Amino acid sequence: MLVRLATEACGTRFELVLDGEDEPRARAAGEAALELVERCDQRFSVFRSDSLIARVNREAAERPVRLDPETYALLERCSALQRATSAAFDIAVGPLMRTFGFRRRVDEQRESEARGTFELDERTRAVRFTSRNTALDLGSVAKGYALELAARSLRDNGIACALVHGGTSSVVALGAPPGESGWRVQLGRESGAFVTLRDTALSFSAPRGRTVEFAGHEVGHIFDPRSGKPVPLEMQCAVVGASALDCDAWSTAALVLASRDVSWSALLPRELAFWVRGPSGDAQILGPCSVFESLSPRSSTPR
Amino acid sequence: MTSSDRRQFLRSTAGGTAAMFFAPSFELLHPRSGAAAPISVAVVGAGRQGRAILGELSTLADAQVLAVCDTDDARLQSAVRKAQGLKGYATHKELLEREPGIAGIVIATPTHLHKQVALDALAAGKHVYCETPLAHTIEDCAAIAAAAKGSGKVFAAGFQGRANPVYSLARSFFKSGQLRQLSHLRAQDHKKTSWRTPGSTPERDRELNWHLDPAVSLGLAGEKGAHQLDVFHYFLGRYPTLVRGTGDLRLHKDGRELADVIALELGFDDGLRAHYSCTLASSYDGRYELLAGEMAAIKLAWTHGWMFKEADAPTQGWEVYANRQKFHNDEGITLIAEATKLAAQGKLTEGVGLPYSSLYYSLANFVSACLENKAPACSASEAARTTIVAIHADRAVRSKSEIAIPPELLESV
Repeated sequence: MLVRLATEACGTRFELVLDGEDEPRARAAGEAALELVERCDQRFSVFRSDSLIARVNREAAERPVRLDPETYALLERCSALQRATSAAFDIAVGPLMRTFGFRRRVDEQRESEARGTFELDERTRAVRFTSRNTALDLGSVAKGYALELAARSLRDNGIACALVHGGTSSVVALGAPPGESGWRVQLGRESGAFVTLRDTALSFSAPRGRTVEFAGHEVGHIFDPRSGKPVPLEMQCAVVGASALDCDAWSTAALVLASRDVSWSALLPRELAFWVRGPSGDAQILGPCSVFESLSPRSSTPR
Repeated sequence: MTSSDRRQFLRSTAGGTAAMFFAPSFELLHPRSGAAAPISVAVVGAGRQGRAILGELSTLADAQVLAVCDTDDARLQSAVRKAQGLKGYATHKELLEREPGIAGIVIATPTHLHKQVALDALAAGKHVYCETPLAHTIEDCAAIAAAAKGSGKVFAAGFQGRANPVYSLARSFFKSGQLRQLSHLRAQDHKKTSWRTPGSTPERDRELNWHLDPAVSLGLAGEKGAHQLDVFHYFLGRYPTLVRGTGDLRLHKDGRELADVIALELGFDDGLRAHYSCTLASSYDGRYELLAGEMAAIKLAWTHGWMFKEADAPTQGWEVYANRQKFHNDEGITLIAEATKLAAQGKLTEGVGLPYSSLYYSLANFVSACLENKAPACSASEAARTTIVAIHADRAVRSKSEIAIPPELLESV
C-alpha cells in the first residue's frame, strides 16, 4: 500500500511516498522520517530565531559556541567539502545572501566589515567566527542532510521502497516501485531529461530556482564564495550519488567551478555523476557513473 | 536630528522602554551558573524525547552527559554512537550501580515507568529531572512527590512553561494586572499525526506505542494536555475543581482505542472556565495557550508570545514603538525576550522569538538548580498537582462526563 506524507521545512515542502504492507506501520515510519526533517529545520533554519544556526550566527563572533556532536560532525563535513571544492562550496555564505537580498539584512555596520569564516575546535566541540561579518547558511546542504537522516530512518524501520524529496531539487530513492527498475525523475521542468534512481540520491541546482532584482539585474541564489559574484542564470547542474548531502554540496560547487575561468573537472569526486549545463546551453556529463546514460529528452510526463 | 539618527533613537527608545515591561534578565535568557566544573548527568530513556534531551544537554556548558540507558539495544547503540563517548546501559539499576559518580539523572522513559526510576535515583542520592506528566496514577504521583520532598536533592519536573523566559515575562504582565478581570482561558494542540512509533516486531510495536495503550497511557488529555494545563496553573497559582471531557476517534481508525480528538472544559471555583482541545486529525492553528481578560489577552506559543490589547485599555508609552504582528482582525504586541540588549545591538527584529528551545531552558534550569543548590522552576509537588488534574481530565474524556477534582487531593502532594 502506498502512503504519501508531507511537511513544510527548510523553507520548502518535503514529501515522501513509501510502499509498505502494514499501512499504520508504514505511516508511522514515514512520520518518524519527516520528524527528523522537521528537527533539521529547528536546528539549521536561518529563518527561526531559536534554531541552533541562528544562535551560532548571533554569538560565534563574540565567543565560541558549543555544539551537539551531530551538528559538529555536520560542520566538519561542510568544512571538508569546502576544501575539496576549492572553496566553491562554502556555508559561510550568509553575508552574500544578505547583500543580494535573499536574507534579511541585520546590521549595516557589521556587514561593512570584511567577510569572515568559521573555525572548529574539536576539543571543546565548538565553532567560532573570525569576524563579525560572518554568518552560516546551510541552505545548500540542509535539504540533503535532512534527506539522509530521513532515508536512514526509513531503512532502520524496515522500509525498502520509498522516494523522498525536499522542494523537488533534492531527492533520495530507496529501492524501486513494484515492477520498475527504479524511480524515474525528470531533471528540471523544461529539460525533458530523466534519470532513474535506485538507492541513490539526486540533487539539482539552478540559479534561476530563486532570483531577486539587484542593481537592476536579475540575480540567482548561487554565488562564488571566493569572488562574491553570482553564477550565470542559465546554468544548471544535476549530481547523482550515494550521499544526498554530498550531491547537494557538489551540485552547487560544480556550478561555481564551471563559472570560474579555470580547469575544474579534476576536482570532481569519482563516485559522483555530474550533468552540467553551461551558460551557452551546452550540457556535459562527467564522472564514470552510468546513471546519465539513460538521459535523453522525452516528451512524456514524468511519474 | 537626521532621519538615520531618529531611526536609531526610536529603535533604542523602543527597546529601552519596552524592556521595562518586556525584557526578562540576560541571565534568564542565557542561563549559565559560572560553576568551575560541569555537573555529570545520565539520561534514562533514548526514545524521541530522550534523544532531544541528549541534544540539548550536549550544548549546555554546565552539563556533561556521561551515560545513557535504554532497554532497547538498537536505540541504545544509536544514542551511544551519535553522542560519541557515552557509556550505554540496558537498565537504570545497572547505570546507578556502575556509575556512582554521576550527580544527576534525567528521566525520559514512558510515563508509567517514571516512578521506579525516580525513587531509585533519589535513593541513590542523585538529583533528578523527570519528564512530565509525572506518572500515570495518583498513587505514583504522591510517591514521587513524597520521595522528592524528603531527599534533600533537586527534583525538577519537565513542565517547560515554568522555565521559559517568554512565559515568565508574560506571567509578570499577568501578575501586574494588565488583563484585569479574567474572561476565559483556552489552549489547544492540533497536529495531524498518527502518534505512532514504528517497531521492529508486533511486541516491540506495543512497547514503543505505550501512549496508545489505555492501560498505561493518560491519552491526549494527559500526555499532551498536561503541559498546557500546567501553564494555566503556573499563571493562576490555583487549580480547577472540575473537568468535563469528551473524545472520539475521527481519523486514525487503526485498531486503537484512545480518542484522536478530545475536548475539555475545566472549571475553577470562581466560575472561570478553561477550554482545551487536542487533535491528531488536523494541524490547523497548531499549539498555543490563551489567557483573555477585560483589558487584554495573552497568547503563548512556546518560543513566541503576544499581547492583544482592548481598544479601551490604557495605552503605555512604549507600545508606540513595540513590535507588532497581525492575526486576521487582531494585532498582537510581540512579547520580546531580552529587548534592551537586542535594541542596543540593533537586533530587535531578529529577537522576536526565543534564542533557545523551550526544552533547553528547562534543562538549563535543572542544571543551575543542582550547581547552585536552589529550587527548580517546577517542583515534584507542582508537577504532581498538574498531573493529578490531567489524570482526572483523561478519566472525563474516557467516560464523556464531568468529574470533580478534590482540592484536598491536590493539597496532599
